[in-house]
Amino acid sequence: MNPPSPDASGRGASDGFGDLPAHVPATYYERPLLKKPHWEGEVIVYLFLGGIMGGSGILALLCDDHPDHDEDLARIVRYSAFVLAPASPGVLLLHLGRPERFLHMLRIFKWRSVMSMGVWGLIAFSVPATLGAGAQAARDGILWSWLDALVPRRVTDVVLGFLGAFIVGYTGVLLSATAIPLWAIGKRHIPAFCVCSGLAGACALNAAILAIGGGNERSLRKLERLEMLASAAELALLEAFRRHAGSTGDPMFTGKRGNKLRTVTQALGIVAPALLTLLPFGGRAKTLLASALTLAGGYVLRETLIEAGKASADDPRAASRQPE
Amino acid sequence: MGNGFFTDTTLCIGCKACEVACKQWNQLPADGYEFSGNSYDNTMAPGATTWRHVAFVEQPAPADKPPTDTKWLMMSDVCKHCTNAGCLEACPTGAIIRNEFDDVFIQPDVCNGCGYCVPSCPFGVVDIIAHADYDAHRDFQLDGRSNDDATQGTGGIAGKCTLCYDRQKVGLVPACAKACPTESIQFGDVDELRERAKKRVETLQARGVESYLYGADDATSVGKLNAFFLLTEKPEAYNLPERPVLPSTRQAAGYAAVAITAGALALAGLAIFRRAE
Repeated sequence: MNPPSPDASGRGASDGFGDLPAHVPATYYERPLLKKPHWEGEVIVYLFLGGIMGGSGILALLCDDHPDHDEDLARIVRYSAFVLAPASPGVLLLHLGRPERFLHMLRIFKWRSVMSMGVWGLIAFSVPATLGAGAQAARDGILWSWLDALVPRRVTDVVLGFLGAFIVGYTGVLLSATAIPLWAIGKRHIPAFCVCSGLAGACALNAAILAIGGGNERSLRKLERLEMLASAAELALLEAFRRHAGSTGDPMFTGKRGNKLRTVTQALGIVAPALLTLLPFGGRAKTLLASALTLAGGYVLRETLIEAGKASADDPRAASRQPE
Repeated sequence: MGNGFFTDTTLCIGCKACEVACKQWNQLPADGYEFSGNSYDNTMAPGATTWRHVAFVEQPAPADKPPTDTKWLMMSDVCKHCTNAGCLEACPTGAIIRNEFDDVFIQPDVCNGCGYCVPSCPFGVVDIIAHADYDAHRDFQLDGRSNDDATQGTGGIAGKCTLCYDRQKVGLVPACAKACPTESIQFGDVDELRERAKKRVETLQARGVESYLYGADDATSVGKLNAFFLLTEKPEAYNLPERPVLPSTRQAAGYAAVAITAGALALAGLAIFRRAE
């Protein structure tokens, strides 16, 4: 494009086209330039569940057979990856304008479309998730024991880890590869904090299930430690994103939405669980409370990200000079 | 190479014949009877079932100039049919294709309404057709038959200008260009249109009218636009982006951020989980 002398203020000023009076806005009646996605609750739930699912994949890699191996934890992680593998894309189908056509996604494989990559990633994830859970079920005496011998568990756990890392993060790439100003400006930050939040959520969920089942204390401590690390990184990345985004980040970080993000995600979802974990007493009830808070914070993060993105699409000035 | 539109806004008289011809040929539902209060524009934006949209830009004369310096600009907006189209790249079903006329076309029987093309368009053109769009105008009559019969079950998918693919197939000019009484909308081979447009800018400059072409060059990542414009104001005045960016150019940075973050956390996790105490 070759527009003559852009005007940084966005308001009418001398630009070779005559002097505009100050009251004449440079935009078109302040109308939105961009269209916003029609994504509602189902997509938010998907982003939330998909994050936990991908995080569980990474945990499967970490919990794989090793000298300090805990069979109870490995069992929970493999089963939760298996249950989430069909559940999260299942929720995703509900948001389609034509759900009966969901199979059309499988017509093609397209590097350029993050959504296509995501669909194939979810399908690929379900293979090691099913095999790993099947082998686990064989070990647990639910399925035939020969299944355990047949499935190379080490391989399925490693594959689950790599695919999980993709799934926990691609949703952030999917959002930032759009024209929506808030998402576009966070092309590095959003994928990064999606990874952190998803992994923290997976630690929280698996710790809660382990605590309910009366599992090993040492395994609980490990999950808590990893969760604290991921959450701390998430907190730092959110702050870095706020500074980086400037006024484009206002729909996410100011007003009601900003307050909710600070209270539920940052204070209750990250700081509070960390403080609870550091308390020397409390037992299983404490673990359950900390996990619930982390999960609630993760959900609100996704909700804020989607809703704030839609709000930022309404700003014609942010949409005019799009972030590289 | 390829067919497209050259929309010369200095010739537009704001009659909206293009909007009407488009609606009629493509059997699109009416937009309702909303009054925006913004000049003569009551549709406000191109949309899922509004494939041509005439913008009316009103700019009062500056205080020190005579009132005749008031600007009243009209521009018939349309899908840009970008060389590098964000919607086409985002589409996970392959419903959005580039057809033999080099135009971006949504195959309505393939689209499943995932909606990813909508935020992926840097120009805010494509949108999801609401099921209600067709239900709300049951009394709308077209050629004596109910619009409903012709368009039943068309909701729930993405909609935008097809550049009258069906008309081009049989050698007809798209409905909007055919209906335009001032040749503000010109249809033809894009290379030829670009040459014509450059000459038009020179003619206007010679007559003292400041003007420029929007989307006729490769200056941004969306590339040349198959539907480009001659404008006399800043792009923002017409609700066009000054700097459109092809959204997929951000993917590499995003995937790299995922790999680095997940890698670092996984390594830390290995240290935590595999340390024998």
